[in-house]
Amino acid sequence: MTSRKLLAGALATVVLAGACSSAAATPTPAPTTAPTAAPTTAPSTEPASQRASEAPSTAASETPASPTPLAPDPAEAVIPNVEQGAEIHFWTFYLSPTFDQYLKDTIARFEATYPGVKVDWEDHQATFKDDLNNAFNAGSAPDVINLSVSEGWVSEYAGKGLLLPLDDKVPDAVKNIYFPGLWKEQLVNGVNYQFPWYQGLNVDLLNKALFTKANVDPASFPKTIDGIPALCDTFAKAGSLCTIRLTMSDLLAQMVYEGNVKVLSDDGKKFTFDSPEGVAWLQMYVDMVKANSVDQTVLTTTDDRVGLNAFIAGGSPFYATGPNLARQVKDQNATLYGNLGMVQQPIGKSNVSGKGLMSISVKKDTKYPNASLALAQFFTNPRSMVEFSKQVAIYPSSPSAYDDPFFSSTPATIEDSARPLAKDIISTYADIVPTVPSKADVNEIVSKAVQSAIFGGVDAQKALSDAVDQANKLIK
Amino acid sequence: MTLRRRLIPYLFLAPALVLLAIFVVYPIIAVVGYSFTDYDIVRPPVFVGLANYEKLVDDPTFWLSIQHSLVYLLVTPILIVLSIGLAIVVNRAMRGIHIFRALYFVPAVSGSIAIGLAWTWLFDRNGFINSVLLSWGLIHTPIQWLANPSMVLPIAMLLTIWAGVGYYSVIFLAGLQNIPEELYDAARIDGCNSFQKHRYVSIPGLRPQITFVAVISSLAALKVFDEIYVLTGRTGGILDSGVTIVFYLWKQAFVLSHAGYASAIAMALLAMTLVFSIVNVRFLERGDAEA
Repeated sequence: MTSRKLLAGALATVVLAGACSSAAATPTPAPTTAPTAAPTTAPSTEPASQRASEAPSTAASETPASPTPLAPDPAEAVIPNVEQGAEIHFWTFYLSPTFDQYLKDTIARFEATYPGVKVDWEDHQATFKDDLNNAFNAGSAPDVINLSVSEGWVSEYAGKGLLLPLDDKVPDAVKNIYFPGLWKEQLVNGVNYQFPWYQGLNVDLLNKALFTKANVDPASFPKTIDGIPALCDTFAKAGSLCTIRLTMSDLLAQMVYEGNVKVLSDDGKKFTFDSPEGVAWLQMYVDMVKANSVDQTVLTTTDDRVGLNAFIAGGSPFYATGPNLARQVKDQNATLYGNLGMVQQPIGKSNVSGKGLMSISVKKDTKYPNASLALAQFFTNPRSMVEFSKQVAIYPSSPSAYDDPFFSSTPATIEDSARPLAKDIISTYADIVPTVPSKADVNEIVSKAVQSAIFGGVDAQKALSDAVDQANKLIK
Repeated sequence: MTLRRRLIPYLFLAPALVLLAIFVVYPIIAVVGYSFTDYDIVRPPVFVGLANYEKLVDDPTFWLSIQHSLVYLLVTPILIVLSIGLAIVVNRAMRGIHIFRALYFVPAVSGSIAIGLAWTWLFDRNGFINSVLLSWGLIHTPIQWLANPSMVLPIAMLLTIWAGVGYYSVIFLAGLQNIPEELYDAARIDGCNSFQKHRYVSIPGLRPQITFVAVISSLAALKVFDEIYVLTGRTGGILDSGVTIVFYLWKQAFVLSHAGYASAIAMALLAMTLVFSIVNVRFLERGDAEA
């Protein structure tokens, strides 16, 4: 009897251990970051921690090769009066461990370029935003912070008076190295608070096998958003649903880029997104859901991974994401990778192809403003950016960086196929969304309105007009 | 009694009391304070009086979340019935019973997020449930389960029941094993059949466990969060179809940065759970006395 109990106990242990290990192995959504949002050209505006494609890393296992570190170059010291003996704290978002070596090498080069300055670097990941909020609350926020432009973090913290304005502190010669559209994005009351850092491209990955099955030529993929509903109808008839997404965390931005909707009056005192353009934008999604041509779970998810997984599973004809995510397709579905196509995302009615991705800002009350500005600028300068681009499919924020032969070389893989076009695409990026007061609350109101129209049968005009009435009450 | 002897018990209690004060008492007091402020976590709180409570009264999503949380309480009686049934089934000597008991306990020791993800995949458009229904010819196109507002809460409740039944049945199993065998013998002699045996011996004998499970499972149901968070992909479901009170609290605090308002919601939750616990215990104690 004892031996049977022992045997049973051992078996139970094995079962439990198996259960625990399988639970631990459950692939949780790897929060990364990417330049994409919804079906079209709208830039990503959802929490970066929830986006699969925004982070430059694709997988921790893909640690890039470590080339020989760049030698220090005194010409990179472009910020004057850097405080001697400064010790500055720098936080990045989701770059470790994949890019540890790149970051350490760049910091070492910075410290050699600006002698007497020490950098204490930390990478924060899923809890980045909470950590940063708590650090600001405790008065221990880092001096230099990697913030997501696409998510609107720069305007959020700048609007609360927590970031250092740059316009009068950075020499014009330094400002001019960046694409003007990127330097001027995310202005708060006309003032810039960020150095534009790495950028992404908005592409659609295509499952060419499903295109063949539906008798659609991938070359005919729509150039503008207007073509998406008809395309999804065609695929629905062939048995597959489109995996397109609403940017649930920033629907106003999506309205602006896709529908060319004027969301706020010129004086900033009234919301105006219930205009005919706004209604037409919403009606497009209402009609697609009515036609049952889109995956509704993916449509409203805040997690890019949900849509990406559906695409990687092979059941979706196309998916808007970053080109670097093609590597995930390669890792997880080799058959699909063999049938993979990549095209630029359709452009919205705004005719603006997207906005910036990541930036570096300096906190307002830093003890060492010049040293902090120097570090933020150093990471975003063309030399540092080219080096970063060689390790992963991200793109520099300065036109001169693209003069490097790397950007004119023939791409070897599909994930790099957009590289030669990157400069032309990124040079058009601009943040055309006005600073929205009480943005999170307004988005919540718009989100409910959009859902009530799409899923609740409420007329699109009524849903948006009611939302405008509610949102106007938040304007003080 | 000397002063020293009187102090000694308090010295032994001190470590636990200090921890309790830091991690329980202080946060509760702080939440009470924050509930009267406009607080976005980043900047210092600003006193707003009763504004957060006034907003609660007029907030339809708050009332919807309470409604959902109350609906969620339906898991409690279902859990009790199923757990008792399972405990009775496994309360016997049979081949491989230890493995069986271990298997149904597996959900209790698995992470709720892992379970939630597994269920998300089960109910995915291309998931197991749809595959089975399609292969049996019961449906012709996949159902978008979690995109259907009327399905989110039932699926979450089903998940809670599935994950909890093993744990609670172990409690009932322990209770069953404490019931003297003589009572069952007496019941048999009195002519009870198998069902009557459990109706008149097992159930009354399990009353303390039923009280315990009723209280903790209903409190857990009122505080449900993980299932909703994972199944709805952090959105609360289309049209707030899965928003429960704790999920709404989380959303206000950590998505919308309204920590002051979230604190007011927390106070409402505290009041609800307190009243619910007292009523629950009193009701069951009264039943105990009558039994």
